[in-house]
Amino acid sequence: MSDRYFEPDAETMPRDQLDELQEEKLLGDLLPWAYKRSPLVRATWDAAGVSIDDVTSMDDFREKAPFVDKDAIRRFRDTSNDRYGGLLCVDPLRAGGPFTAVFSTSGTTGDPTLVPSVTSGPSILTREFWEMGCRPGDYFVEMLFTYRGPGIHHTIRGIGATPVFVDHSPFEFPNVYRLSRELRPTGWYTMSTPLILALEQMAPAMGIDPRDMFASYKGVIYAGEPLGARARALLDEWGVNFFVHTGVADVGAATECREHDGCHIWEDIAFVEVLDPDGTDPVADGERGELVGTTLVDKIAPLVRYRSDDLVRVTRERCACGRTHARMWPVGRKSDEIVVDGVSVLPGDVWPAIESVAETEAALFQVIRPARELDRLRLRVGFASEGPHGLADVRDRVIDAVEACVGLVPDVELVPNEVLLRQGPPHKIPRVTKQ
Amino acid sequence: MSSTVRMPPPDVWGVGRVAVGGEMIPWPVSHADVDDETDSHVATMRRLGVGEGDVVVICSLLSEAIHVFPLEQAANAVGARYSSTDATEFDAFRTAAMVSQVSPVAVIGVNRDVVTGLRGAGRDLREVFGPVKVVVAADEDAREALEGAGLAPRRWLKLGPVSGFECAERDGVHVDGSRVRVMTTEDGGLLVTTTVPRLTPCVDLATGLHGEVIERPCACGSTDPRIRMVPAPG
Ligand SMILES: [Zn+2]
Ligand SMILES: [Zn+2]
Repeated sequence: MSDRYFEPDAETMPRDQLDELQEEKLLGDLLPWAYKRSPLVRATWDAAGVSIDDVTSMDDFREKAPFVDKDAIRRFRDTSNDRYGGLLCVDPLRAGGPFTAVFSTSGTTGDPTLVPSVTSGPSILTREFWEMGCRPGDYFVEMLFTYRGPGIHHTIRGIGATPVFVDHSPFEFPNVYRLSRELRPTGWYTMSTPLILALEQMAPAMGIDPRDMFASYKGVIYAGEPLGARARALLDEWGVNFFVHTGVADVGAATECREHDGCHIWEDIAFVEVLDPDGTDPVADGERGELVGTTLVDKIAPLVRYRSDDLVRVTRERCACGRTHARMWPVGRKSDEIVVDGVSVLPGDVWPAIESVAETEAALFQVIRPARELDRLRLRVGFASEGPHGLADVRDRVIDAVEACVGLVPDVELVPNEVLLRQGPPHKIPRVTKQ
Repeated sequence: MSSTVRMPPPDVWGVGRVAVGGEMIPWPVSHADVDDETDSHVATMRRLGVGEGDVVVICSLLSEAIHVFPLEQAANAVGARYSSTDATEFDAFRTAAMVSQVSPVAVIGVNRDVVTGLRGAGRDLREVFGPVKVVVAADEDAREALEGAGLAPRRWLKLGPVSGFECAERDGVHVDGSRVRVMTTEDGGLLVTTTVPRLTPCVDLATGLHGEVIERPCACGSTDPRIRMVPAPG
């Protein structure tokens, strides 16, 4: 057996066995557990008039199980005076046991919701760290925030590597440069677009040669907003072998393998569906739809048929790497979509156009979205300089590029890049705003 | 299995850092170091009033992991749970949100960036932290701001690879005398030595901080040495 896989049996399990395993875990274990203990699951199912006795097959589950979403969790939290939104399946007052920490979601779409957590042991990301080529005895840079807990430390140690802790901030680059040259780490979790653009700007003044800094890394995990062409080009120029990493409906994460042909969803820990964003029917394999996730392993705060608001494409065709699990391509967020003259537009659709204009190539922009259906496409776009012929000329070129890209003539408001950068956490700015 | 012969995993839990003045010293710690620091901070949790069934919010940066992870484990060791927030301007909203959502008995690690972030969002420090029994500041700017808001913040002081906390008397930072020795130079500079085996030895490390070491017992009953901070000379 090749040493490419960390858990070969699980990662290359034949499709029919994977389907059986999902059924066994969901119907035999997770669902009865959650139905009995989760106040949100029970209330949602009662309201839908569905009982667990009605669900004896995966087809029953697909047909009858009601959905929850982030708003339903917040609503339950606020109306039932339950800080965990009805998700918690263990007694919060009992000390000890696996429920050792309370983390929170990023909070970029509103107030953060609580994530009751288990903090011991590695996560399933060991599979991707191994796939990148990291091995026991290696150093591994963890450049991250703290609010999701110490899971990544444990995961790095889970493959026998040693974490090197740094902050997810551009001001850390001089430290990372030094640590990279001294320790020759092979893995990095995570890189984001603001860090890439900041590195390009700050490297000369900081005395950093990015190619030299990244030379020892077999893999760098990229997370955050979709990777634009410009940031991608910089990573290529620096010789970075990066792996796109994205969340899976809050029930897991998906990461590219070395084939770089979609992000693998680990289906032995999550059951995922891709449904019509405005309905409940599944879309065909590879078509755009809303990602709906059900955990197969989280016994602390399980999500059951959680509508993620994420628009994705998913295929279950076997990957060239030999893994049998589904692959996914993120497209955007359902709540970010606007419809102008019947044309659906997501921030990712105008991104390449804005990047193609030199003065706005950082692609710091926002879609103005007071409602889903609009008469005009309105954009707020950040600029780095006024260009050779002034801002009116920059605006005209942005308008032309966007029209060529999505077929709509936008209204464009230009603002300095710094104004937009102040609007969000350092790893992402809000791409959609009400005004 | 692998065609390449690999070194066995080292006994290093992780590579953190120790800040001395403006300089970063990479600081590897072992699993045993982390467990020993955890044992030491069980007393810290009691000192902060954190016990069974409680939640403590720890506001920090990942680069502080060698100081913070033992606090997280110590919280669990006394039967409490912890919640993590970033000690940055951008994430300050989360510290405020966690205070209202998980009703912590203590918030550890409020620094100047969190204060700036909360003020920038129009939040009043007294209103945010008023409901919390114990608020611990990570730097002097934050401590003064919290005190100015009518709160009684305590200090969290990082001394090389270890750290100490003030008790309710707020009269000097307690350090664990069974593991750490703190001396002063002629001009009041604090030198720290770890007196138990550690992966990275720490002997008379100049911390860049100034203070005085008090050896007499604290009014709280602890006989551990305490450090009173004084401004650097000049
Ligand atoms: Zn693959
Ligand atoms: Zn005392």
